[in-house]
Order: sequence, then C-alpha cells, then structure tokens
Amino acid sequence: MPKPISLRQRSRSTRPPAGVPSRVAWIRSLVWFLPVLLALPGIADAEMGWLSQDSIDFHGFAEKVQFALWVVVPAIMLVVVVLFWSWLLYRQTARRTRQLQRELSERRRVEMALRESETRFRDVTEAASDWIWEMDENLRFTYLSERFYALTGIAPQYVLGRTRWELAGVDSAADPQKWRRHRELLEKHLSFRDFIYQTQLTSNQKEGRYLKVSGKPIHDGQGRFRGYRGTGTDITEQVKAETALHQSELRLRRIIDLVPHMIFARDSHGHFLLANRATAAAYDMTVGELVNRSHHIVHRVDEEAERMLADDQEVIESWTSKLVAEETFTDHAGQVHTLQTMKIPFTEPGLNEAAVLSVAIDITEQKRAKEEVARMRLYLKNIIDSMPSVLIGVDPWGYITVLNQPAEQAGGVSWEAAQGRFFGEVFPQLEGQFEQVRQAIRHGRPIKTPRMTLEVEGELHYADVMVYPLMADTASGAVIRMDDITARVRIESMMVQTEKMLSVGGLAAGMAHEINNPLGAILQGSQNILRRIGPDMSQNRSVADALGIDLNLLNRYLQERGILRFLEGIREAGTRAAKIVADMLSFSRRSESRFALVDVEDMLETVLRLAASDYDLKKKYDFKRITIERDYDPALRAVYCDKTEIEQVILNLLKNAAQAMAEEGTPSPTITLRTLHEPDYVLIEVVDNGPGMDDKILKRIFEPFFTTKEVGAGTGLGLSVSYFIVTEQHNGRLSATSKPGQGSRFSIRLPRIREALP
Amino acid sequence: MTGWVLIVDDEEMIRENLKAYLEDEGLGVAAFESATHALRWLRDGTACRVCIMDMRLPDMDGNAAIRILHRLYPEMEFLIHTGSSSYSLPEDLRAMGLDDDRVYRKPLGDMAPLAAAVRALAAPREVRP
Repeated sequence: MPKPISLRQRSRSTRPPAGVPSRVAWIRSLVWFLPVLLALPGIADAEMGWLSQDSIDFHGFAEKVQFALWVVVPAIMLVVVVLFWSWLLYRQTARRTRQLQRELSERRRVEMALRESETRFRDVTEAASDWIWEMDENLRFTYLSERFYALTGIAPQYVLGRTRWELAGVDSAADPQKWRRHRELLEKHLSFRDFIYQTQLTSNQKEGRYLKVSGKPIHDGQGRFRGYRGTGTDITEQVKAETALHQSELRLRRIIDLVPHMIFARDSHGHFLLANRATAAAYDMTVGELVNRSHHIVHRVDEEAERMLADDQEVIESWTSKLVAEETFTDHAGQVHTLQTMKIPFTEPGLNEAAVLSVAIDITEQKRAKEEVARMRLYLKNIIDSMPSVLIGVDPWGYITVLNQPAEQAGGVSWEAAQGRFFGEVFPQLEGQFEQVRQAIRHGRPIKTPRMTLEVEGELHYADVMVYPLMADTASGAVIRMDDITARVRIESMMVQTEKMLSVGGLAAGMAHEINNPLGAILQGSQNILRRIGPDMSQNRSVADALGIDLNLLNRYLQERGILRFLEGIREAGTRAAKIVADMLSFSRRSESRFALVDVEDMLETVLRLAASDYDLKKKYDFKRITIERDYDPALRAVYCDKTEIEQVILNLLKNAAQAMAEEGTPSPTITLRTLHEPDYVLIEVVDNGPGMDDKILKRIFEPFFTTKEVGAGTGLGLSVSYFIVTEQHNGRLSATSKPGQGSRFSIRLPRIREALP
Repeated sequence: MTGWVLIVDDEEMIRENLKAYLEDEGLGVAAFESATHALRWLRDGTACRVCIMDMRLPDMDGNAAIRILHRLYPEMEFLIHTGSSSYSLPEDLRAMGLDDDRVYRKPLGDMAPLAAAVRALAAPREVRP
C-alpha cells in the first residue's frame, strides 16, 4: 500500500512547499469574504432579496447603492480575482520549475548509475566463468563473449556462423534424442534453461568440454523473431567431479554388495535407506526393490521384525552402538538363520534424521559348530561313562584328572572329590601301576598288565590293566584302564571244559558202538546168569534134575559165598558205565532231525511221571512225598526242541531237587514247575524249597565232573550235560539262582524262533 | 507155537544172550552173525515172524538187510537192536510200519521189554491191536 504511506510522509514532512495546501483554503476563505464585502456598506440590494427583506424601505438611496453595487463591487472583485490568479500562477510556475530541476538531476543520476552498471556488467561478464552468446534467426551463433574462447580454447572461426549441434558432433551422435528435443525447442522459439552438452568438434580432439547454457528468444519491435540470446557456463570441472563422485559411489556400492554379510540402514520408522545385495537376497528382492520399503512389510516373521526394530529404536534413543550377539532371522524361503548384528546410529546426511546402520553376520554355521562341540563333549563323556571299564585319567605325577562312572563306583568316590588326589590313594589295588604310568608316558606307548589278581571284598578277582599315555598336545598324562575279567575268566575256563567235553563227546560217539556191545554182553550175560540159577524157572529145574543138583542148595551156596552180590555188582557197574557212555554221547552235537514241535505241558507231565517211577530207595528219596506245584502260562503251547534231550534235562533237575531236599530233610518239600512266554524265549523253571547253595558252589555247578554228592552217587556230569544240551544244542540258556536255605531256581530258556536254533 | 524168531548180530555174546533169554521165554530162536547166513536159512523154507536186526553187520548194513527181507517176506516184523548212538530210522523203514519203539539201544540192561515186544509181534495178527 504505497499510497497511504506517501500521504502520511507528506503530511509529516517538516517543510511542506508553501501554497500547496492553501489552494483549497483560499477558495474557502473567498466564499466567506464575499458576503462580508456585500454587508459592509449596510445597503440591502433588492435584487439580492436573498440577503434581507428590510432593504426595501431605502429606495432613493437604493439606486446609488445599486449603482455602487453594480460597478464598484464587480471592479473590486475583478481586481481581487486578477490578483489572486496571478499569485496562483506564480505559485504554479515556481513549483513546476523546482520539479523539473529535480527530474533533471534524477536523470543525471540514473544515467550515471547505468553507466556504472554497464561497466560493472562488462567487467563481470569478462571476469566470470559464464559467457554471453547470441544467435540469429537461423539459430547460428553470431556472438560469443571473450570468456567463451578463453575457457574452452575454441577459436571464434569454429563457432561463429554454426549451430550448436554442429559444435557437438560427438555428443549429438551419442544422444540424438536429447538433441532432437533441444532443436525442436529452439525451432519453436521457446526459452530454455540449463541445457547441458559436450562440445567436441571431432572425435580425435583430446577431450570435450561440458557446457551448460540457457537462452531466451529475441523479438524486434514488430514482434518478429530475431534470434536467441543467453548465457553459458563451462561445467567440465563440475561434471568431472560429479563423475568421480559417482564412480566412487559405484565402487563403494560394489564393495558393500560384494560383502557376504548383510549391510543395511533403516530410519527410525523402519524404512530401508540402504541395503546391500546380501540383504536384498535374504528377502528375495533386488536392492532397488528393498530400499525405501518398510521392514514390517518385507519381513515375514512379525515377532522378528518387531524385535529388530525395537533394537533399532534402542540404538537411536541411546545413540550408542549395540552388538546383538545372537538373533534369529527367517529368510524368504523360511529358513532360520542366526545372525550377529552390530547396530550403529548415524544421521542420514541431507535428511538430518536419525538412522541405524546394521551389519549382520550369519553365524548359523558357527553356532551349529559350537553346539556340535558341546554336544560332542557331552557325548564323549557319555561314552566314557558308559564304558564298563574303569577309566582313571592321571597327570604325569599320578594325580587324578578324570574318572568315569565305573571308576567312581570302584573307588567309591566322586570325580570332583578324587580330582587332584594320588590315584594309588583312591585305588589302592592299582598303586603298583605307578611305574607303568611313568613308563607309558616316557615311551609314549601303552603298557598292559593282563590277568592281574585283585582281592575284592574277600574274593579273588581278575583284571586286565592297561596304561596308555595321553597323546594330546595340550595335556600330558596317562589313562589307566581296568577291566574286571573275573566273569570272563570263569566263562573261559568253562569253555575250555566244554571244549574238552566236546572232544570227549566226539570220541564217545566213535567208540560208543564198540563199548556198547561188550557192555551189552556184560549186562545181558549177568541177567541170563541170574535168571538161569534161580529155582523158579522150569527149564532150570529140569536141567538141574537131569544133573542131580538141588537148585535151592546151589542158591544158598551162591548166597553164602556172596556170588549173587558180585553178580549184582557187575550188573550195576555195567549200568553205570553205560550211563557214562550215554552222558558223554550227549556232548556230541546232534543233527536237527530230532527237533520237533513239542507241547511244553505234555512234556513236563511226562517228565513228572518218569520222575515218580524213578524213585530210588538207595538214594533215600521218594518222589511221591514231594508236592508238585504247576504254574503254567496258558499262552504257551509248543516249543521246537529235541524232546528226549529236554526231558532228560528237566528230569535231571527234578532228581537233583528231590535228592537235595531228601538229604536235607526239608519239612514240606515242594517243587514248582513254571512256564512263561517271554518275547524271545520259552522259559521253563524248576524251583525247589530245598537247602539251596552258596555262591561258590553256584558258580561251579555246571562244570563237568563237579559234584557235591558222595563218590559213586553221581557221575558229576548231569548238570554239565544239561547245560550243554540247552546252550549248545538248543541255543538256549540255563541259569541257576540260589541262596543257602532259600531253595534253588533253575531256569531253562529255549528260543522261540526256529531260526535261532542251531 | 508162534514160529521162529530170527536174530542177526555179529557180536557172538549178544547173539547168544538174546537167544538164551528168548528160548527161556519159550520161543524158537535162530541166530546168525550175518544177513547172508540168515537169508540162506530162510531160503530153506523156514517160516519166520519176527527178526531182531543189528545194524552194523560184516556183510551189509542192517537197514539194507531189512529192505531185502521185507521184499522177500512181507509178513516179517522187525526189531532193531543197535549199539550206535546216532542211529535213526530211515524214512522208507518207517513207511514199512517201523517206529522208534522198535529201536532198542545197546546195552540192554533188561531184556524183558524186548522179549515182550517179540512175543507181541509173533502173536497171530488178528490178536494184535
């Protein structure tokens, strides 16, 4: 609002020009002045009735006054008006003169300024990196300021009279589109800004210059197009710098893309500002697709996204870097990785906004390897703990470093408690091995002490002791391994016996025929003798009568001389020999042809009948006095076996039980026969409530020729034959459990599966 | 009488003892040391109901002898008396009606069961169960 301002300025002016404000005041005072002049003579003009009605009374005088009024007053008034007008004119002229003077000085000043500005402009034009150019209506250069030639080093004759595109042959060939558009624009006589191109007249020229030009069309007074005028700037250095920057960016980009780890930056809202290829690949995207996307959108697992963004937030808020040692990351394929991520806060240049740069390393493999190591360690501990051997790790001075579980049991001490103690103190039975420990470490090879005898709880035990040096780089020492081989030694000795018996069995089989025939002759012969000396048989009597012999007397004689007893002795001895031969034959392996499906209950009942009829007065037991309890598994029917052999085994067990109970005088002798259907075996048990036996006897009962019976009462082969039949011929098991005074239990296990048979 | 009982065994004392026991039982017994001798005696026309056969014979295997005798005298019944512990009846002999009850293993402590078996087999067929 410039107007009020100027008015106010004027009214406030300290020196207002005289007369200017009084022009109005003058006219106003004149209006007031006229009636005063008319009233002064005191004569009321009739024709001036509008002045007063009272003036009618003075008529004669009125004419003179009228005259005076008509002549004098106008003359006076005329003079006044003329005076006033001339004064007014004077005033006007004076003002105008002042005004002209002012304008004149103003113009002079403007002209000065213009001249100054022109000079300045020329100086600037010549000094600046910009230049001025002009084109005629045919778009050919007509003028270029000096600066152009100085900057580009192109001589005027190459430029003047040519079009712009003729100066940029190489560039226009490289990007014809750009040039076509520019040309169209010029042909339409439109103004343009910041058109960038490269001058290069010929391709062999060393290097072109990058120019940026702007221009405006020029029109003459009639509005006709006269050409173009504009400015230009050499931006070669700028372009070079930009190119260098761009290349440097590209290089950096390539570097972060080459890094296999995920490198990315997110702003506080979770948008990706930057991402390398590894990051994009994890989301199955290109870098371009990922950048500016929200993490929420690209990440499949919400809770992971939440957690990661919360970490970002934390880093931004605290403005300190954070190492996320382990975090899960589910990639686009749903595969879960473990990442170790470093998060660093930074301010995004340009945006001036807080952001987080993250570098995430996939440690899935490392983690797996670490877990594998831990698992392996536990596994190895399990292995050494599960080993039945006693393992004692010692340092070169014999102090315990490691114990496995069997060692803890053997020493009655925990690993923790034993650690650091001398091994001979914890395991006195092994104290003598210290020399071997030293030897093993010195020579770097294991030293074995086989079949070392030890006393454990008053019993003789055998142990193999092996001392071997630790070969690890970091630890030196040795491991003492002790295996209790008592059971094995016992089994071995039994196997030796069994082998012996097998060879005896083989021998017996070959000899059986040769022995059985003479035995038959002995036994049958003695039977015939006893029959033919008796007085009962009619044939005997008739022969005796014919010879005149009294058979009764003869019999008495034989009795008196003990001949009958000798005969009975021959018979018994022959029977026993036959039994031994038969037992020995049992040790030979049989063909499978005797195997058949046998009903277990039927078989047991048959054996019970046999046992009942087998009672022996001489052996002082009567099977009928024994209570038989049957505990048969109803699920069990048949078993595939050699019936006569298994019958022999069970009969033998029954007889042994009966005999033992009879000898001990067990009050209410009971034998329990039990069968049980086990997964792999048919179990047949013979349980008695007899005297039982102690461990020492129990361990030896299956040994051949081992007997607790008085000499002549048994061959000592019964149980070993049974053992042989069950284990060797049937691939079964025969075991015995017993405690003194608590009876005995014999368990026969026969394989249920036919394939398991021999 | 019930006819002859034939004993084939190369062991003289076994042969003689069996013969003595069965004769005491009132049976007619002919005993030979080999199958050839037995066959020659049979060829002379003697009727024989029961044969006690040893397995290991000087001239042939007892099983083979039984096969020959069975072919020649289908009515003849056989008992086997062997000293071999591993003897088992061949299938074709089982097919003839022999079973494990007909097998007697040496040494025989008591000849009574064998004698009873001979008597049962020698009895007229219609009486046998």
